[in-house]
Amino acid sequence: MTNTSAGTAVRLADVEKSFAVQGGGETVALQGINLDIGAGEFVSLIGPSGCGKSTLLRIVADLIRPTSGTVEVNGKSPHRARLDRDYGMVFQAPVLFDWRTVEANVRLPLEVMNVARSEREQRVREMLELVELGGFLRHYPHQLSGGMQQRVAIARALCFQPAILLMDEPFGALDEMTRERLNAEVLRIWARLGTTVIFVTHSIPEAVFLSTRVVVMSARPGRITTVVDVDLPQPRTEQTRETDRYYELVTVVREALRGRLPAGAQDGPAALDGHPAKQRARAEGGIG
Amino acid sequence: MRDPETATERQSSAASVGVAGVEPPSRRRSILRPIASVALVLLAIGIAWQVAKLIGGDPWRYDDFLGTGIAFHHNPPLRVAQLSDRQLPHLWDIGAALVQPVQRGAQQSLGEFLVGAALYTWREAIIGFGLGALIGVVLASLFVHFRLLERAFVPYVIASQAIPIVALAPIIVVGLGRGIVAVVIIATYLTFFPVTIAAMRGLSSPDPRALELMRSYAASRWAIFWKVRLPASVPYLFTALKIAATASIVGAIIGEGPGGVPEGLGRAIINFNQQYITGPEKLWATILIASLLGITFFALVRVAEALVLRNRQRVDV
Repeated sequence: MTNTSAGTAVRLADVEKSFAVQGGGETVALQGINLDIGAGEFVSLIGPSGCGKSTLLRIVADLIRPTSGTVEVNGKSPHRARLDRDYGMVFQAPVLFDWRTVEANVRLPLEVMNVARSEREQRVREMLELVELGGFLRHYPHQLSGGMQQRVAIARALCFQPAILLMDEPFGALDEMTRERLNAEVLRIWARLGTTVIFVTHSIPEAVFLSTRVVVMSARPGRITTVVDVDLPQPRTEQTRETDRYYELVTVVREALRGRLPAGAQDGPAALDGHPAKQRARAEGGIG
Repeated sequence: MRDPETATERQSSAASVGVAGVEPPSRRRSILRPIASVALVLLAIGIAWQVAKLIGGDPWRYDDFLGTGIAFHHNPPLRVAQLSDRQLPHLWDIGAALVQPVQRGAQQSLGEFLVGAALYTWREAIIGFGLGALIGVVLASLFVHFRLLERAFVPYVIASQAIPIVALAPIIVVGLGRGIVAVVIIATYLTFFPVTIAAMRGLSSPDPRALELMRSYAASRWAIFWKVRLPASVPYLFTALKIAATASIVGAIIGEGPGGVPEGLGRAIINFNQQYITGPEKLWATILIASLLGITFFALVRVAEALVLRNRQRVDV
């Protein structure tokens, strides 16, 4: 698995999802979703509450089925991809098991997947080193901070070497400092493993800093309004957050979220130079 | 088989079955503190008991008060029938009865006899407790996984506990014959219910996302049960097992009468009940030993709980 590996990781064509509402009728959670995500990409889904970004992630994960449309994950049906353990998942809450040590939590998927004992230990160790928790093998989840717990969850999602990592607002419950540190960590892991990442977030700076593409969605019905290519150079560091281009892109995404930039996102930034929105971007830092 | 997807929805339905008594367990406290507080309460009860007798009991006539050599004669100001020596013997008389022979001319003291009877009853109760716990967990597992079974049978599980056990016990004895098997079944009958209810709640307690996570690993239903549902239910199970421990002893004692098992506490209670007029201390001593048995069993389960859950985070429900 490398960033350069060819092919499409996820393909969504005309995907629609509606839920029955109690007392009759239905809500359309997603409508006309068309999106191709290449292998090794880092794609963020951003949008207001109720835009269906988590629903979209769950459809890719085969946790729910679309009402209509085609979904392919690694060229297979999402169901097949789930059975093949093609993706790992991280939720907003770490969802660690309090009766298991850190080590045993990361080991859980390997146990479920019947990975040989000797290999388990080695992979668990590797993954915990990767998230810099090598010294906490025997700790219990409640002995760790929220950020550390979420790193355990990331190690757990990656330990069986899935091609795709699905993250549903993984840092939404963390403070800004921890969030930024984990952003950098996720990028480092992504660069090292070449895993395709689909990342749901409320935070504009986070989406821009992490992604190769930001998918902007709107609510009622949930639609993709804009896809912003993030051309910030790799590897991204804390300095990246200080560059003009970063601010420009944050502004582009923010404007897109406000529905002010329905088209031409790619050429938008240049035109926005010196725009008051740029200063706003600095001040506000995010919508979440 | 229901889909795990729908399994998450039914959390609330299982929780609604949960009886108020099945509270999530409070975790990890020092073992010594509850023991000390229990001892303190017992001491207070003992003092209240004797003070009541001092105020409203029969006259105290001691030439050598409890071996201290002090003479103590006291005429209580009130005369309350319920506080008479026959109704409420002096605690030291109950204690003295324990070291006296169980019958005139017998080698064995009452205490020895009662401890033997208690151990015998405990044996029945432990088997009933084990069976009841097993049945409870199995039933709850079925109910949690098959909604149809839950709908069909949970009302009967609840109704089963509305039948007075004293009415049911003779029927069980007629069905199974006199003997220890019938007694064990009666103990089981009182045990399985709290375990079923608590286990249903515990097995449906995992975070829906934990189930989704397992689903994302393409985990089998069995793996989800074994690695998530069952471990998550353990704190709930222990809450029920503590109730079941004492219930199983009550069941065994009740069952021993109609069950015709002469060796246990049940028969001792019946016998000493008949001798109450001449020797109330014996029945009180039996009650004391029976309670001690219940407390001991409870305490052992509590210790097991503390050991098993020592590393767990507090469970919030």
